[in-house]
Amino acid sequence: MLRFITHRLLQMVPVLFFVSVIIFTLINLIPGDAARLFLGEEASPDALVALRHQMGLDRPLPVQYARWIGGMLHGDFGHSFKDNRSVLATVAQKIPVTAELSCMALVIAWTIAIPAGVLAAWRRRTAADYAASAAALTGLSIPNFWLGIMLIYLFAVNLHWLPASGYVPPTQDLGRNLRTLIMPAFVLGIILAAVVMRQLRSSMLEVLSADFVRTANAKGLAAATVLVRHALRNAVIPVITVMGIQLGTLLGGVVITETIFSVPGMGRLAVESIYARDYPMLEGVVMFSALSVLAVNLAVDILYSVIDPRITLEGGRT
Amino acid sequence: MLRWGAAASLGAGILSAADLIPASAAPGGAGTIRVALESDPPNMDPHRSTAAVDRQVYQNLYDKLVDTDENLRIMPMLATSWTISPDGKTYTFKLQQGVKFHDGTPFNAEAVKYNFDRMRDPKFPSTRRSELGPVIGADAVDTYTVRVTLERAYSPLMYVLTDRAGMMVSPAAAQKDGLNFALHPVGTGPFRFVEKIPQDHITLDRNPDYWVKGQPYLSRITYRTIVDDNARVASIKSGDTDIVNVPPLPQIPSLKKEAAQSGARFRVIERGPFAWQGIWLNVTKPPFDNKLLRQALNATIDRNVIANVVLQGAADPLYSFFPNGTPAYDPSWKIPPRSVALAREKLQAAGHPSGFSFTLLSTPGQQQQSIAQAVQSMASEAGIQAKIQIIEFGAFLSVLSHLQHEAGLIGWSGRPDPDFDIYPFITKSGVGSFNDAGYDNPKVDELLDAARLLQDMAQRRRAYSEATKILADDMPYLWLYCPKEYKLVVPRVRGFVDQPDGMMRFRTVRLA
Repeated sequence: MLRFITHRLLQMVPVLFFVSVIIFTLINLIPGDAARLFLGEEASPDALVALRHQMGLDRPLPVQYARWIGGMLHGDFGHSFKDNRSVLATVAQKIPVTAELSCMALVIAWTIAIPAGVLAAWRRRTAADYAASAAALTGLSIPNFWLGIMLIYLFAVNLHWLPASGYVPPTQDLGRNLRTLIMPAFVLGIILAAVVMRQLRSSMLEVLSADFVRTANAKGLAAATVLVRHALRNAVIPVITVMGIQLGTLLGGVVITETIFSVPGMGRLAVESIYARDYPMLEGVVMFSALSVLAVNLAVDILYSVIDPRITLEGGRT
Repeated sequence: MLRWGAAASLGAGILSAADLIPASAAPGGAGTIRVALESDPPNMDPHRSTAAVDRQVYQNLYDKLVDTDENLRIMPMLATSWTISPDGKTYTFKLQQGVKFHDGTPFNAEAVKYNFDRMRDPKFPSTRRSELGPVIGADAVDTYTVRVTLERAYSPLMYVLTDRAGMMVSPAAAQKDGLNFALHPVGTGPFRFVEKIPQDHITLDRNPDYWVKGQPYLSRITYRTIVDDNARVASIKSGDTDIVNVPPLPQIPSLKKEAAQSGARFRVIERGPFAWQGIWLNVTKPPFDNKLLRQALNATIDRNVIANVVLQGAADPLYSFFPNGTPAYDPSWKIPPRSVALAREKLQAAGHPSGFSFTLLSTPGQQQQSIAQAVQSMASEAGIQAKIQIIEFGAFLSVLSHLQHEAGLIGWSGRPDPDFDIYPFITKSGVGSFNDAGYDNPKVDELLDAARLLQDMAQRRRAYSEATKILADDMPYLWLYCPKEYKLVVPRVRGFVDQPDGMMRFRTVRLA
């Protein structure tokens, strides 16, 4: 196990290096002039030249890249063009927000998707199956900005049950924290649930027709036991892969949902950094996103072996 | 470094729900006002700021040497009185005594001198330098008298000092923190800085030692960034905020209806226009290097329809850089009627009798797109085909300042001094930054340079009117409309005066 993890961590190094080159190139390919945007209403030609120099934007790209990478290797991820804020400290401030929102969304998704997926497969081609599929399709089709605004109008403006938007850290007020995050988490969860439910249904159908399930049924085990202990446990492996991909994406930030609900997470930071061409901040955010995808993948691989003892980390299925 | 970063963020995380502490926490003041802003203020250092929204927070964090009142008159603030020498090259300010910065540093002539030096220091990336123009420096005459010396007369200076260049930062804090001053700003204002979480909120607390006795009345201000238009409006309806800045213009008619009902949760404050909007026509390349084609397009535009139909009365039609209510507004200047016949005549004269086509660049957003479409349909009646292309704001600015566009729809937030509503936009010195037409007319430059030397606003107005006449013929910028400005305010907010510049000053505000 330890050898496996060390090996995977070492593999991350060339991947991250490659990612850093891509990030840097793409960010510098965005049209628009950071100095012009920062000077905004003060962009005289002289001021532009001076600011480009101060930002280091007048140096050749390979030099800029080397400075960035060199800084990161020393733990210095740079400072925001906007107000000299530390990139690392800012990203570190956003991670818990986005992580909490993502986890809540996943919990909501699984709470809906697992019973629905199991039911749809177990009672396939019945009204229950069709209803679950229709609900999943609806969940996938609803634009999240629309659902978000509708929820705000219903629960915040009309019923006054929940705050319309914003964020309060759980360390300060857990109750209010959950109340502010429940709507955005639901909006995200409903879409994830649709994907997970459909994946689980087809995976369950495959498993339910397997020999060991027939045997279990023939032994006279209770239907619930067969479904959960035998079928679901085997069917859930591909679903975990999907969940891993979802979590990786969520941790990179969920731009639209964070914007509508004014959740100060990674997504908003990324978008505002793009709009302002805040290169150091944007590079930091994207590097973190890449890192979180790698980390989640590793976690998913480890999880496989926990759920299915036949999978060993060193050699795959035995 | 790594460890420090994590520790800093942890500290901020713990502080960041401070807006939940009951209002009574700060003695002497009562209540927290919660303000919804339309975008995240990027920088808390007034001498480095470039975003209009920063100024909302500054009004309460910093005092300025002078301020404006509801009628845009210049009023004393940190400067109690001032004299301007007859040649306009020396300004002498008497300063308010007994004022302290939030860190305890005394405010005096030396502090003012430091602020001017800071803004003009070539090693410090100040964004105030061009506003200060010909200012050579400031000197302390005595503890509470300061003299500002100029190379030549520069009439916009007093209005400049009502804005960011007049905001005084603590010399001690600025020296200590350098560029990081933006992270812990220190002024003399009625409220002091508590914290800023980017994209989330900014908190200011009552300054108990404020130099105006008894003020301010509030104990705390929380600015929240809510960029989504619908969510921002919803926040006041749900009781989460007390003031909403910049509700979207297309929603104003329905919001007014809602506010007129009994028991409404908010009222709508309307203010005359200050900002302006229009289309830059690039005079350096076809088709708009041909003045006749610019005039043809201009003749097809019905500005009353844009203001009253497209924007449903939430704007005034505009035919100069100066909205009604600003000092350089000239009431004798009339909006020309739309004339498709005149447009055809101009096209004929230009040798394009059947019209021409051009690309109109715009930024995203409901309002900009509906304006672009209105222009498109008006122009098409004369055979002028406008192709609308929408690109992201940063890319848009870059295309315009490199003069790669044919036409671009963009405006300006407006300034109390008329100079900043016209000078950088139309003189040769602004090419590459604000003069997005690439327009270069020595006669106009001469008029506008001369206006900077005149102290009397009536005389200046004449110079601006003359320049406007030339511009109305040359048409490098197609003036369209000036948006009125709106705020939503809950009824329990008392004593709030909506100033012409739209900046919210909370010094005298109470909560019922």
